Amino acid sequence: MSATEAAPRLESRGNSRSATWMVVPALVLLIGFFALPYLTIITMSLREASTRAVYGDGFTLAHYTTALGDFYIWGILGRTLLIGATVTVISLLLGYPVAYHLAKSRSRWTSLLYIFVLSPLLVGLVVRTFAWMIILSNNGVANQALKAAGLIDFPLQLMNNWLGVTIALTHVFLPFIILPLLGNLQAISPDLAMASRSLGASRMRTFWKVTLPLSMPGIQAGTILVFVLSISAYVTPAMLGGTGGRTMSVLVVQYLVDNFRWPAGAALAIIMAAVAVIFVGLYLRLTARAMRRLP
Amino acid sequence: MTALTIDRINKRYGNLHILKDISIPIAQGEFVSLLGPSGCGKTTTLRCIAGFERPDDGRILFGNRDVTRALPEQRDIGMVFQSYALFPHMTVAENLSFGLEVRKVSVPDRQRRIADVLAMVRLEGYDKRYPRELSGGQQQRVALARALVIEPSVLLLDEPLANLDATLRDEMRFFIRDLQQRVGITSIYVTHDQAEAMVMSDKIVVMSAGAISQFGSPREIYERPASQSVAGFIGRSNTISGRIAEALGPDSYKVDTPCGSIGTTGPAGLAKGAEVKIMIRPENIDTRREGAGRPTSEGKAGADENVLAGSVVNSVYQGSANQLAVKLASGDRVIVDVSGRNPLDIGEQVALRFAARDSWVLAS
Amino acid sequence: MTSSSSGVEKTIWDRMFTALVAAIYIFLMFPIVLVVLLSFNSGEFLAFPLEGFSLRWFEALFSNKRFLDATLYSIQIAATSTIVNGVIGTLAAIYVARHATAFRDYIRLIMTAPLLVPEILTAIALLFYFYEIRIGTDYSIGIQIGHIVVTFPYVFLNVSSALFNFDRSQEEAARSLGAGGWMTFRRVTLPAIKPGIITGCLFAFVISFDIFNISLLLKSLGKNTLPLELFDYLRFNFDPTAAAIASLSIFMTFAAILIIDRTVGLRSLRF
Repeated sequence: MSATEAAPRLESRGNSRSATWMVVPALVLLIGFFALPYLTIITMSLREASTRAVYGDGFTLAHYTTALGDFYIWGILGRTLLIGATVTVISLLLGYPVAYHLAKSRSRWTSLLYIFVLSPLLVGLVVRTFAWMIILSNNGVANQALKAAGLIDFPLQLMNNWLGVTIALTHVFLPFIILPLLGNLQAISPDLAMASRSLGASRMRTFWKVTLPLSMPGIQAGTILVFVLSISAYVTPAMLGGTGGRTMSVLVVQYLVDNFRWPAGAALAIIMAAVAVIFVGLYLRLTARAMRRLP
Repeated sequence: MTALTIDRINKRYGNLHILKDISIPIAQGEFVSLLGPSGCGKTTTLRCIAGFERPDDGRILFGNRDVTRALPEQRDIGMVFQSYALFPHMTVAENLSFGLEVRKVSVPDRQRRIADVLAMVRLEGYDKRYPRELSGGQQQRVALARALVIEPSVLLLDEPLANLDATLRDEMRFFIRDLQQRVGITSIYVTHDQAEAMVMSDKIVVMSAGAISQFGSPREIYERPASQSVAGFIGRSNTISGRIAEALGPDSYKVDTPCGSIGTTGPAGLAKGAEVKIMIRPENIDTRREGAGRPTSEGKAGADENVLAGSVVNSVYQGSANQLAVKLASGDRVIVDVSGRNPLDIGEQVALRFAARDSWVLAS
Repeated sequence: MTSSSSGVEKTIWDRMFTALVAAIYIFLMFPIVLVVLLSFNSGEFLAFPLEGFSLRWFEALFSNKRFLDATLYSIQIAATSTIVNGVIGTLAAIYVARHATAFRDYIRLIMTAPLLVPEILTAIALLFYFYEIRIGTDYSIGIQIGHIVVTFPYVFLNVSSALFNFDRSQEEAARSLGAGGWMTFRRVTLPAIKPGIITGCLFAFVISFDIFNISLLLKSLGKNTLPLELFDYLRFNFDPTAAAIASLSIFMTFAAILIIDRTVGLRSLRF
């Protein structure tokens, strides 16, 4: 998430050639088994389909034209983006107060609260999604509680639709917006808020005029991270989504694993990635205005 | 009239007593420094005045208005921070405009006041710049302007010069003092630099360990320190231990010391026989070779002049003067300044003279 | 919003804000606590009320050969990823911090890239690639390489961070005292960056243990990692045995968090 800063450059470049061996294994790994594989998604998406092998002999753009002419796929793409946007907005609304609180907190419980934020991140996705199945299923904890409170007579449909996916994804990716925001907020000098107060601004005004504008970089980084993660998430929509909550990732995996349509699946994956890139690009341009003044 | 009254405030964090019965009356237009080493409570006192801390008990009055429980934004203060705390996402003009917008000052008035205050801090034409495009000294002046443009009833300054280099710091001392006197604003200045406090202040509050050691004008603090720690903190000083022999007047005493009896001034009401220390500033001691000039003899104290004999044990060349360490017959070491044109060598016998009015008794 | 502990009284807004934040913390922790609670519940269903403490679901888990195999397989893959990355990630971090010149930024970018792209895309890319280069998914080598690639940045970033915070004059002091390059590394640099290496490795282990997408697409037939086994199990079953598996994974994660917190402090984590 946050790459470490550059270490001071070395004067001892004389021995840099002899040290090259140190980076070779990592480069072999990441070029050989990361960069090159990404190229094969592109080539795969251009292969002709075949019923006898994974792909046929020739090259074609048919998988793209078919996918882009298919209302079903457009619908799933739209749902994916909608879920992504909803999760991002809710994560921001829930994550900001937590990051703000954690940044200001000087209590001895701070490190425990930090574990609260961090631990969901480190507990596996399948486990966390399973937990949400327990909560959201028809006779799950949430419906039990609502029934016990006398609010409902019949269970609400909380999963196997976009609602369940959205709730669970928000939980799953919330730490990813809290952590960059926390770093950002901690870097803002508390003197600035005090200066604002001393000039007569209330705490609300101080927040809107000083703290919030200065935390835009953290908001930007966190929201992009959550958006990209949630539109590409597979486990949660696959487990919780049913057909009503099916997203692009689920569709792509279905093409690859169940239907064995690799070229078409590759084209879908690229469409998904391209849409993500376009949206992030637009978002960057939109937020650039708000960031223009920041140092 | 007192513009600001701090009345017996206390502050505790757990079992740490941070402020102990702090009382400071400040007159309209006065420049008061809170001086002391770090951790002495001076910054906490300032934060109590600003409203960022609330004292456990005691009162803070602005004029007749009790602000002890008021929020910072309700107090009508201007504050300058050590870090300047300029809003990095706003231009100079927007920084200055911030407090005026809160006060709902009309746009033309705002523009006029911003232009005026920029002229006052000699930053005309910088209104469109961002803080990061300014030098440290310029940022400092913007911070000052931002605090002054709202015409607050009190100006609070928290070590504003600590981040500047030495030359600029000297310049800014006079700039701030001059500006403060022109505007006539009541100011409270926190610093750990005694020279800064001496040249800028009308009054100095010397603090240590959460309590006030002394409150007075720079001259009083320097010449009539209330305790050895104040004397040691402000300027250089020598002390000689002794016992009060007799009171010669309301504020003058004769003190018996191992070097003989010494006539000195001191605070009123010291009892005969009390253990005391006599403080003498190095620049107030006249040092001559033994035998040169007037005749001397050990411990022969007139009513207004004292003479002590000793030998030079160390000499440090300091350009304008030589600083000598002189060992007295009693074994005490005394630091004195002598003219650089009249060098004295190590081992030479010298006579130290100082007037009774230039020495001061520190009650122990 | 909050005045923190500045000694100024809390307003009604402060209390509401604190309540909101507390609610969000509960939202974050509730599902995890719930799973652990239900895994120790003697009842037959994944629901309330709790019927009593029991280890029966853990017994069921440990008597199930598929789960045991999957657990061992996951540990094997995670351990291999950790060891491989512990070596090549540390070496690469040292190279970038100490020796890289011209292409430093590009090298750093590619070293962290697996974190910056969605895991599902990497999984798809590797699936195609292994097919094209005739490795395929018949053996564990594919899934293993996938895990190494995805967890590599965790070691790299944490070691880089330790190197960045390490005062190089210590190395120079060692050299000035006559220590050679290797001795300086072994006696001065390595002890100083050890916390970063430990953190990175623990992190890599936990992440590798939990990874799903890579495993799903690159697994060889009939060999499941624990998350895959849980996923498959949940397709047809929904009982507390699943909670026991989940609890096991949660305990492992918290053990790692505890170790990191006790040794180097959580805030030094980089990801």
